[in-house]
This record gives sequence, C-alpha cells and structure tokens, in this order.
Amino acid sequence: MKLLIVEDDKALCKSISDYLTMEGHLCEVAENMKQALFKTADNRYDCILLDLGLPDGSGFEVIKELKENKLTDGVLILSARNSLDDKLHGFNIGADDYLTKPFHLAELSARINSIYRRHNLKGLNEISFNEIRVNTEGRQAWINNNLLNLTRKEYELLVFFLINSKRIITKESIVEHLWGDEVILTDSFDFVYTHVKNLRKKILAEGGKNYIKSIYGFGYKFSED
Amino acid sequence: MKLIAKSTVYLFLSSIFVMIAGGIVLYFTIRTIVYKQIDNSLKTEAAIIEDQILQSDTIPDFTADFGHQIEVKLLNSQIRKKVVFKDTLILDEKAGEYLSYRSILYSGNTKDKKGYTINIYQTLEEKQELLKDVSLYMSFLFLSLLAISILLNYLISSNLWKPFYTSVDQAANYNILSDKPILLPETDIAEFRQLNGVIKSMTSKMRSDYLNLKEFNENAAHEIQTPLAVIRSKMDILVQNARLNKENLELVKSINDATTKLFKLNQGLLLISKIENQYFQAEKNVSLKQTVETCIENYREIMEIKGIKVELKAASSAVIKMNEILADVLISNLLSNAVRYNIDNGLIRCEIDDRLLVITNTGLPLKTDPELLFQRFHKGNDHLQSVGLGLSIVKKIADSYSMKVSYTCNENLHIIKLEYR
Repeated sequence: MKLLIVEDDKALCKSISDYLTMEGHLCEVAENMKQALFKTADNRYDCILLDLGLPDGSGFEVIKELKENKLTDGVLILSARNSLDDKLHGFNIGADDYLTKPFHLAELSARINSIYRRHNLKGLNEISFNEIRVNTEGRQAWINNNLLNLTRKEYELLVFFLINSKRIITKESIVEHLWGDEVILTDSFDFVYTHVKNLRKKILAEGGKNYIKSIYGFGYKFSED
Repeated sequence: MKLIAKSTVYLFLSSIFVMIAGGIVLYFTIRTIVYKQIDNSLKTEAAIIEDQILQSDTIPDFTADFGHQIEVKLLNSQIRKKVVFKDTLILDEKAGEYLSYRSILYSGNTKDKKGYTINIYQTLEEKQELLKDVSLYMSFLFLSLLAISILLNYLISSNLWKPFYTSVDQAANYNILSDKPILLPETDIAEFRQLNGVIKSMTSKMRSDYLNLKEFNENAAHEIQTPLAVIRSKMDILVQNARLNKENLELVKSINDATTKLFKLNQGLLLISKIENQYFQAEKNVSLKQTVETCIENYREIMEIKGIKVELKAASSAVIKMNEILADVLISNLLSNAVRYNIDNGLIRCEIDDRLLVITNTGLPLKTDPELLFQRFHKGNDHLQSVGLGLSIVKKIADSYSMKVSYTCNENLHIIKLEYR
C-alpha cells in the first residue's frame, strides 16, 4: 500500500512511518499543508493519514482540495481533538475515518486496512493467513474451508490479529479496538483473555494451528513461530 | 423596592411634611389677621361710644342685634382706665349651644370722675366659618398639587430611567455563548452612557476571556494528546523488538499503563470543563429507557463474562430534556461503575419511573463516605486504572440540569439515585 502521512510532529510521524514500513507499506511524509497539497497534486495514495492541526492550516483543506479534483484517495483523519463537530465535519467533506490521538499503531493499521478494502472492493475483501481465510464483506472466516462459528467480537479480534500478524499487540489496544476507548473497564483485560481463549479454541477445533501466542501477560502475537 | 417607588415615597413624605407645616403657619397667620381686624373694629366702636359718653354723659341707646351686643355701664366711683380683649363662650338660648365671641372691655372715667365700662361682644362664627372654608380650600389645593407633582415625578422618572432598565435587561439576558454583541439603548444622559460603556466593555472582555479559555482548553488537549500519541506509538514499536525480555516488557507495560491513565485523565478533565463551559447546548427529549437499554447492550458481553445479571424496570414515559451526548455519558458512567465495581455473579438492578432513576448493584462494601466519591480524584476502592473522574462527571452533568444525585452504600449493595425531575 502506498501511504502519505501528513503530521507535523516529527517523532509521531517517524513511529507511524516505521511501523507501517515494517508491515510492508510504502510511506511518504508531509510535515505541513503545503507539502501535503504538493504531494497529493502529483501522486496517488491508497490512504492519506491526515493530522488536522497543521502549522500552516487545517487538514480539512487537503480533503477539500482532493474532492475538488475528484480524487478518491482514502483519508484517515488523525486528530488530537476528540470533538464531535470535527468528526462530523470530516465525514461530511469526505474523510473515510477518524482516529483520535493517542492511538495504538495496531489500531491505526487496522483502520488503514479497512479503508483500503472499502476503496478496492474487487477481490481484495479477503485476508488470509496460511489455512485461515477471512471474507471481510460477508464477515466470515474459514479454516481450510471449514466455516468458523465466531461471535462478532471474536471475528473482529481475528481480523485485528491477521492485519497485525507477526507483531506484538498489547491487550490494551485490543480492548480499545473491540470496545472503543469510551468503555474504560479495569478488568477488561480478563475479557480479552476470555475472547482470545475462545477464538483459539474454535480455530483449533476446526483444524487450525495455534498461532496466538501470549507475550508475558503483556499482549499477544499472531505468528507461525 | 424600585427606585421610582422609593423616590415617590420620599417625595410624598417630604411634601406632606411641608404642607402640614405650611398649613399650620398659614392658618395661624390668617387667624391673627382676622382677630386684628375684629379687635380694631371693636376698639373703634368702643371709642365712638366713649366719645358720646364723654360729651353727653348719657348712655347711648343700643339695639342688640344677633351676634353683636353692647353693654355700657356707668359707675359712681372712679375706675382704672383699661382696654382688654377676650375670647368668650356665650350660651345662645335659642340654639342651646355655646358660641364663641370676641369681646372688648373698655373702661374709663368722665370729667366728673365717674367711671364707665363698655363691653362689646362680637360673634366669631362667621369668621370661623371663613377660616374653615379657607382651610378646606387650601387643603384641597395642596393635595391636588401633591398628586400632580407625584404623578409628574413618576412619569418623568420612569421616562428618564427607561434606558437604564433596558440596559439592565440586556445585560441580564446576555449570553456569553452567543457571538451576538450586547445591544444597549442610545441615551443622552451622561451617567447612563457611562454605564452602557462599562457594560459593553465588560461583556466584550467576558466574551474574549471565554473564547480564550475555550481555545486554551482545546489547545491544551491538542498539545497533551500529541506527545501522548508519540509515547504510545514509540512503545508499540519498542515492544516489537525481539531482544526485549520479560523484565523489559514489564517496564514498558508500566509506562504504557501510566500513559493510558494520563490520557483518560486528560479526556475526563476536558469533558468536565466542556460541561462547565456549556459546550453541549443542543437539547432534545431523551428516552431514559432507550438510553439505558443501549448502554446495557454495550456491556452485555462483559456482564455475561462476569456472570452479572441485569434487571431493568423502566417506564417508557421516562424522558429527560437534555443533551443527548451528555445523557449517554451520564448513563454509561453510572452503568460502567455498576459493572466495574461489581462482584462475580453479581446483580445490577435499574429502575426508572417518571421522577427517579435508581441503579442498585452488588459489590464490595465501601471504605469511604460514598458522597465523597462525587469529588474529583476521589476513588472508593483502589483500582489501578481508575482515574477517579467518573462520578464527578456524573455530578457535573446532574448539576448542570439541576438534577439531584445521591450515592448510598448498604453493606454489599451500592445504590445510586438520580432525581431527574
């Protein structure tokens, strides 16, 4: 995937680009609105990660410019402001999603993937990992052609794992992904544990391998080794 | 008491005082003049009679007519010469009542040393009648003057103070949230112009302070969230490092937990300041039953895992007129507490009628006074991840809609009551 990161904070910009590059994406960076407009004028991106508060203007301008030129690059707003007005305004002028800072990189990755899938429907609504196959349109998963009977949360958890496979994802980012950051529950980590346990059981029952590894009670890693 | 009423009362009292004093002075002045006149005419009459006595040594013949009597006596001895005026009452036999008279006693001696006295009585009835008429007329005049001056004062004052009351009304209705500037009436009265100037500069100062504060809050959020985002993202990358061992990861986890807490804290404080600044203005009729049902649905899974049973008894007529977002925050804060501080296989009971919302949940007994939990950063049981803002947010929302919220804890039962009407 080719991505443009528009973010004026250099440190944040670097971690986003490092993480996404590790996942195999091609990342370009713009530190202000001028650079962003310059880059989007000449290049097409699968997804633009857009900070709203740029030093030389609002990120909304970039979206407006894209829409005026009828360009369909995916846009994911990254904002420090958790304001409903901003969210609605963003969606109204054509943003695809809105993520409030501070976010987990695993969550960012999941959002980018879902935007990408929405924009490129043909044949790309499938994610697979060895014998596991997920159809994101029908929201179904199979182990070698055996349909997995998953609850909504278990399905979401599986997709989250697949998109962030081979990375350690913290329990916290799973909680935020499954329940949103409004639901703050102290013992929610136990629920993550319960969901992971059930998911693992179902995958094994249908003949899949155990890919979900617990990392010192800190998080999980979905990988072969 | 209104200024106009007060000034009218003062004017009324002082006018009454002046009028009574003036009336008394006037009455006595007129009375003195009348007496002087009567006395003069009595004296003149007595002098004429004396003249006659001195010249002819005879008593003139008098016919007494009503209200006017003359008595002249000749004495054999000498008498001291004197003139005395007196007020007397004389019984009028016909009318059977005493009438007041003015009398003169005039005495002297003839050339052959014989004394004489002249007593003339003049009735005062007519003069008193006159005095009464004059007083009545004067009182009427005074009272009309008083009425007119009070009426005029009232009309003039209310007209003069009109711009003042308009300014006060405008200032009272001024809404800091709206960007409409305050509209003050034009006036040519210097004091009111000054007042309007002060109101104008104060409101515009308030408005700009408010905007600054709002901007500061938003900026603060932005400025804090971005470094938090950096810390979080760096940690996400750090944990991917294969060389980290268990101890290293434990450290990262602690940093991560603290960062999350900081983030929640920042969010909570911002929410509180937004409520205080009446950021959430749009109101609609929110069905409590529906809000609670949606919220329970969100927690359904978690409650199932914990084995918590939920009982909901709600009247569908239970409606609050408030901001929808705040209603969600209010209910979800209360319910998440009921879930969070519940015990395994516990119970949550939620009852809503037309006036009350009561959430009862099982849990461990509280160590502190439950009412203290409405204060910021006050935590009941030592939960690591709790930032201690949930109930103070609830209280802020309840306060801003003048609802009453109370928390009681009876051993293992925690009861939150929200009187929303």
